[in-house]
Amino acid sequence: MKTLGKIHHRMPLEIVSVASDCGRAGRLAAMGFLPGCKIRVSRVAPLGDPISIEMEGQEISVRRAEADLIEVKEVK
Amino acid sequence: MIAASPTRPVRIALLGNPNTGKSTLFNRLTGLRQHIANYPGITVEKKTGDMVLSGRQIELIDLPGTYSLAAASPDERVVMDALGGRFGHQAPDLIVCVVDATNIKRNMLLVSEAAELGIPMLIALNQWDAAKRNGLLINHELLSDRLGVPVIPTVAKSGIGLEDLKKAIGHALAEPRQIPRILWPEFIEEARDLVRDGLAQLDVDVTGPESLRMIFDTDSAFADKIGHKDQLHGLLTAAREIIRSRGMNPASVEAVLHYRHLEALLDGVIGGDGRVARTRNSVDALLLNRFWGTLIFFGVMYVVFQSLYAWAGPLMDLIDAGTNLVREAVSPLLAGTPMLQSLVTDGIIAGVGGVLIFLPQILLLFLFIAVLEDTGYLARAAFLMDKLFGWCGLNGKSFVPLLSGYACAIPGVMAARTLEDPKARITTILMTPFMSCSARLPVYVLLIGAFVEPVYGPIVAGWTLFVMHFVGAAVAMPLAWFMNRCILKINAQPFILEMPDYRVPTFRNVFIRMWERGREFVIRAGTVILAFSVIIWALLYFPRSESVAEKARETFVAVQSATMPAGEVAAALANPDSELSLKLSHRIDGAYIEQSYLGRFGKAVQPVFDLAGFDWKITVGILSSFPAREVMIATLGIIYNLGADVDEGSLRSILAQEKWHDGPRAGQPVYTLPVVLGLMVFFALCMQCGATVAIVARELNWGWAAGSFAAMTALAWAAAVLIYQIGSRL
Repeated sequence: MKTLGKIHHRMPLEIVSVASDCGRAGRLAAMGFLPGCKIRVSRVAPLGDPISIEMEGQEISVRRAEADLIEVKEVK
Repeated sequence: MIAASPTRPVRIALLGNPNTGKSTLFNRLTGLRQHIANYPGITVEKKTGDMVLSGRQIELIDLPGTYSLAAASPDERVVMDALGGRFGHQAPDLIVCVVDATNIKRNMLLVSEAAELGIPMLIALNQWDAAKRNGLLINHELLSDRLGVPVIPTVAKSGIGLEDLKKAIGHALAEPRQIPRILWPEFIEEARDLVRDGLAQLDVDVTGPESLRMIFDTDSAFADKIGHKDQLHGLLTAAREIIRSRGMNPASVEAVLHYRHLEALLDGVIGGDGRVARTRNSVDALLLNRFWGTLIFFGVMYVVFQSLYAWAGPLMDLIDAGTNLVREAVSPLLAGTPMLQSLVTDGIIAGVGGVLIFLPQILLLFLFIAVLEDTGYLARAAFLMDKLFGWCGLNGKSFVPLLSGYACAIPGVMAARTLEDPKARITTILMTPFMSCSARLPVYVLLIGAFVEPVYGPIVAGWTLFVMHFVGAAVAMPLAWFMNRCILKINAQPFILEMPDYRVPTFRNVFIRMWERGREFVIRAGTVILAFSVIIWALLYFPRSESVAEKARETFVAVQSATMPAGEVAAALANPDSELSLKLSHRIDGAYIEQSYLGRFGKAVQPVFDLAGFDWKITVGILSSFPAREVMIATLGIIYNLGADVDEGSLRSILAQEKWHDGPRAGQPVYTLPVVLGLMVFFALCMQCGATVAIVARELNWGWAAGSFAAMTALAWAAAVLIYQIGSRL
């Protein structure tokens, strides 16, 4: 199991869980980052951070530190 | 039916996510009948507008765009407070929810949260055209049936659907309807009642939705407001434990349940192949490319900066020339009353000119910001640059304000409005005055030209000027880091950036943004800047006892008579246009400034600046430059008896000759290299600019303005002292 902030490829991913007891995780959940959701890292900023996530047709950019609040697994 | 009581109009709130075209819709509905104020105690602006609908007076409130009602700071809490009619807000009679048709599900989360408050609603399904282009087939009638409220497709940009929307608002006021609330599972109700009943025992009355907000938001700003910290903490922990015992995560349970509720409501509403906007992807591939994207970014920023730094110049010169024209025209009319003449020309007209001079830069910057934001590029720019700023608590959106600060802090501070996160916005506003604005340039050029270039040559002089431009930024960044860690007690929010679709901005929207900002500045900050100008004028003018002029005249005549016959001196002075008369009037001006309240104050505080090697003349020059930094040169001109319109060459040579008259350094030159460097660094770091103080007070509050003025002055002083003390010992 990996956190989203550690992903360095563009393969499809599925969200396993979001961090508990953390207001910032709540914000990510409100944006639609929820368990079961299919996502993909679509772009990385020139300086390596933040990363842009493709999710249900929308593009949302998050910093790696916050992406680490999301646990993902690779989808074959 | 919602009736307007005779004392108040019907109140309608616009609610929606960022980037939904909510503000465009607001502009459409109200036109230029808008009022901008600050919500009390926070830094969020309150935008209201008037609208007349079939003879009824309606007050429209444009709430800040947000993704959910979660609030970790008082700034974010404003939406919840405004809708709930809490803490001095009055609840609206109707909520118009602006929902982005290209992303209905996520947009509906906020609507579903707000539905809990039991206020009648109606939905504007905006960007209908973009949804169609994206291949989405939306059955808005079915959605309307499911929600039980009107759902109106609109395109705010072009005004499509606007008449339908107005009609629907009229109907909704006559026949208010609510959308079905989420049915919370029993364990959520249990957790909610636990908190609510627990607080009731402490005589604190909170509503159900408010209790839930405190449970769901781990760092709830609402909880901070309630008080009873320890008991509340115990209640919330117990409530979250109930949720956790059901295998749910308290941080995400709200989103999970709302999305589940929405899935059922939206089932069958959205069809079509939902192809992702292809143009967006291909344009992003270029604009966010490591190489090309960065190159284009710097190109765009160069144009923005150039416009402020260079293109605004002719317009500013025009305003300057206009001010002088008015001064010259008015001056003779008041020649009989010198005090009034000076007040009107040097205080009021110069002050008004000093306000208007900022307008070209403000309007140009907001032209660019409106275009960059509306096209969707600003979010991309923030994405590219975020890493540079993230470490010190700023974010990618700080780039434009800080860059603008290099031209002028005023538009830069105003540009910080584009930052949604309150903590990052405050930090950006406080750091912008450190950027080396163009008004500091004349002072650098004067001092470098007089003391660095003659000794070290043009190359060192050029480098000194270059380095001076980065002194402020080099100090500001670590300072921002420190402030973020130790001073600003606001919960940091994740930097989540939605990449909106690329859109063509409309002239109307861009114009309204510029007009709004310009008016804002003139009315709110301008009055304060004018007041500063008049106060400094008065401190430099009074007390104006005749004896000062008499004494200056006597001394002058005595000195001149030593070198030429007394008769010739008298004859030359009788002619007001003679060189000697001009010299005398400069002497008298110099004597007056020395005797003025500001001059006396400067002399009184000079011992503090003495540690940096500044004499009283430099001290007064610094103090008098408060209305505008570049005034320093005119003041020095007066102090050194050369007149306010002194040319740089003569000022340079007199500065180079200036020596200490008394004290331990008597006979030594005042302007040594350590003093000059210290003075330049002082200028780089201090906030000796009334307009900046006024705009910070306007954007944040007077506490921040006074605090940052004091802190920057202390920092500038300490740096100057350090440079002088070390430099003069080497």
